[in-house]
Amino acid sequence: MATQTPTQETTEFGEVSRLKGIAFKYTSFAASIVGILALGVLLAYVFWDAFGLESAGTTWYLSYTVTLLVPLLAFFAYARTRPDVVAGAFELFSLTLGGVMLTVATVIVLSVIASPPVWFAYFLTVVGPAIGMYVYGQYNREATWVGLGILAAVVVGPVVGTLGLGTFSSLGAMLGAPGIYFLSLVLPGAGMAAFLAHDRLELSKRQSIGIGVGLPVLAIVGVPVVDMVPQIARSVWLIGLVMFGLPVGFTVVNTAQRRERWAAFAFPAIAILGFLLGEFVVGVVGATEPSPWLDWQYVTSGPSISNAAEAGLYPAIIGSVFLIVLVSVFTFVFGVGTAIYLEEYAPATGPLGTITRLVNVNISNLAGVPSVVYGLLGLGIFVNINAQLGPITYAGFGVGTVFTASLTLSLLILPIVVISAQEAIRSVPDSLRQASYGMGATRWQTIRNVVLPRSLPGILTGTILALGRAIGETAPLIMIGAATTKFSPPSGLFSKLTAMPMQIYAWAFQPSPDFRYGVVAAGVVTLLIVLLTMNSVAILVRNKYQQEAH
Amino acid sequence: MTDSPNRGVSRRSFLASTGAVGALALAGCTEGPSSGGSGDGGGSSGDSGSSGLSGEINITGSSTVYPVATAVANRFQQEHSGIDISVSSTGSGGGFSNHFCVGNSDFNNASRPITEEEKQLCSDNDIEYHEVNVATDALTVIVNDENDWVDCMTPEQLRQIWRADGASNWSDVKSEWPDEPISRFGAADTSGTFDYFKEAILGEEANHTSNYEATEQDNLILQGVQSDQYGIGYFGFAYYQGNKSAVKALGIDNGSGCVKPSLETAKAGEYKPLSRPLFTYPRKSALAEEHIAEFARYYVEQSANSSLIADEIGYVPKTEEAMQEELDALNEVIDEAQ
Repeated sequence: MATQTPTQETTEFGEVSRLKGIAFKYTSFAASIVGILALGVLLAYVFWDAFGLESAGTTWYLSYTVTLLVPLLAFFAYARTRPDVVAGAFELFSLTLGGVMLTVATVIVLSVIASPPVWFAYFLTVVGPAIGMYVYGQYNREATWVGLGILAAVVVGPVVGTLGLGTFSSLGAMLGAPGIYFLSLVLPGAGMAAFLAHDRLELSKRQSIGIGVGLPVLAIVGVPVVDMVPQIARSVWLIGLVMFGLPVGFTVVNTAQRRERWAAFAFPAIAILGFLLGEFVVGVVGATEPSPWLDWQYVTSGPSISNAAEAGLYPAIIGSVFLIVLVSVFTFVFGVGTAIYLEEYAPATGPLGTITRLVNVNISNLAGVPSVVYGLLGLGIFVNINAQLGPITYAGFGVGTVFTASLTLSLLILPIVVISAQEAIRSVPDSLRQASYGMGATRWQTIRNVVLPRSLPGILTGTILALGRAIGETAPLIMIGAATTKFSPPSGLFSKLTAMPMQIYAWAFQPSPDFRYGVVAAGVVTLLIVLLTMNSVAILVRNKYQQEAH
Repeated sequence: MTDSPNRGVSRRSFLASTGAVGALALAGCTEGPSSGGSGDGGGSSGDSGSSGLSGEINITGSSTVYPVATAVANRFQQEHSGIDISVSSTGSGGGFSNHFCVGNSDFNNASRPITEEEKQLCSDNDIEYHEVNVATDALTVIVNDENDWVDCMTPEQLRQIWRADGASNWSDVKSEWPDEPISRFGAADTSGTFDYFKEAILGEEANHTSNYEATEQDNLILQGVQSDQYGIGYFGFAYYQGNKSAVKALGIDNGSGCVKPSLETAKAGEYKPLSRPLFTYPRKSALAEEHIAEFARYYVEQSANSSLIADEIGYVPKTEEAMQEELDALNEVIDEAQ
């Protein structure tokens, strides 16, 4: 306050001391620097170990500095004053990276975890009808039943799919894995490509149809070519074509269409050529290359406890991804549902309002409960239970199974998701709701068209943070009896799993420094990459809605 | 999602084109899969095992035995890919009380024999078990070859050397010994060897000295002691076994004369307190299943495999005869169960 500092003269305009403000500014600056530096150093250290950069020779660093780093820096210097080029390069980079992550995630989730026939069963009963009805709803705006129809597909579809799993999956098995992906990914992908080409890239109708037809044709024509490369299965080719090809193709055409962005193509060109040139130079000079712990062998083989060079994380990676997919579905449905009900529907006054407030207070408290407690809760209600209710016997979901683990972790992060979603919904100004009501919208329409689009970025941010916590949890998994080490990935919902943090934790206590510095660091980096991959979808959606809100 | 309705026309044409594409692609689809449905992505080991054995095996228990169980399980699974083994490191007691004695695991590893309380818990739940000794964990105290004043130490003397604020010169321990500073080389406090040595020698009251060369690498301990006449160090027995000529191992006099560390004394339980037997407890009812019985036999057979137990993990393997005895006992139990 101005009155606290004595003024030299008794004039109306005294001098206010700025000392406090300056001190505060620099204190907060120092705090942020310490925090960010500590995190940065930690991450750099882990990456350094995981990729074995210490073992690389000076000439290796020198070669790549000359061939890759310097040209890239030159490009950045050039692009600094050209926002169009920066935007183009960023789009190229992020969509390519997103495409890679999406491909990997899809291969893991559809091909390894779900297995193609099972995916086909649920595609027929859930995904296919839902997408079909959504597209029809966009086409025929008058069809008001579409929303409810999608809801029905999402709710009833899994039940039908599970009951008829045998029939549907034997149907899928007849098609074979590539056929399933062709039907369920390439064809919808072709429709999507045609739509994007026509609607977003504003190509002519003929070109758009050409793209829509071209994608499936390319998929089939590519099969004999892919067959010559033993590392790439046909399924991977089809998945990659859609998940990687679509975003990359989109961004390439988008960049090519705008003259002012053409310079952005220099970025991938420099990166790829620089890398190849670097490889060539390193080979010619004979520089010592780094020996990374995190390599192909590491992500595709099972764990070893005695031989660091053979150690791998494959079963744990699949286990963690399986877990996090289920957890994100559970928490999103239950968490966001709870938040919407509590904020938009639950009575705020009267005796029922007291109950609402009580529930709110308790949810906040639950967010602070240690994870071990949730582990015990999961052990109690999902494992060591034998309840009899009439003819139904509930005996839990098994020790350390995927289902038990994902339910336990969902419970753990549910309060965080609920609170952040509530916070996001609350931040939508009431005036917007009133305006929507004023124009005659119903409460559902208001929530659907006003509240949710504006609060979605906040909801997704909260969910992303919570999922990050869930994927790194060890204590609840130990409590429910998840395995420390497994040699094959979980084969179904009710098979035992191991997760990355469990295996990393076990390795961290191995006496050999190769394990404690190399293998563990590689595990941590893998964990981070998987987390980012799973989150990238949410991050993309969040960014889309954030841009729309502005 | 919030598209305006005036885009209906473009969408209609888009749908038309999609339909055309769909029809065309369906036609083309018949050739897609028919050319072979073998190529499935992922690279996982999904195919069934060559031996025909299949099923799940659950192992819980001691973190000390965890490396042995993991290494054995890894080898077993390489031979029988249809079997799905999970190993959990829960601690000996945690494994008995939370998993094994409630019937949730097939094997429980323990770095000590089962206690009375755990026996009670198991019998309360009608869990019968069989005790198998799979290896011995032993530590060796080493001194320099030119050390001519000591061949044998009591645990009390070791405690004086290794506890915090203990002896600083050899003569502080025993007056006949040289008046020279002790240079110590030992395991870093992150290792199980450190924990075990601390527990066995120092007990709960005393702390391990911090005035020593701490390392995870046995060869650094070896080199340190080798190069220093007044040096002393400790590491796993397996490492000494491979370097017998380089340094001198001290005997331990635990009240009944000097006992030198060796495979025989460690297994006979004479080399105390620096050796302890490691166990695994298979559940009898689980042994009725063929794949679990097969794994139990394999586990016992591997306990005499010195390249696995001694070289890879650093414990004392069993002798062939002792392994055969253990295997016969196990086979009897299996016959009984099946």
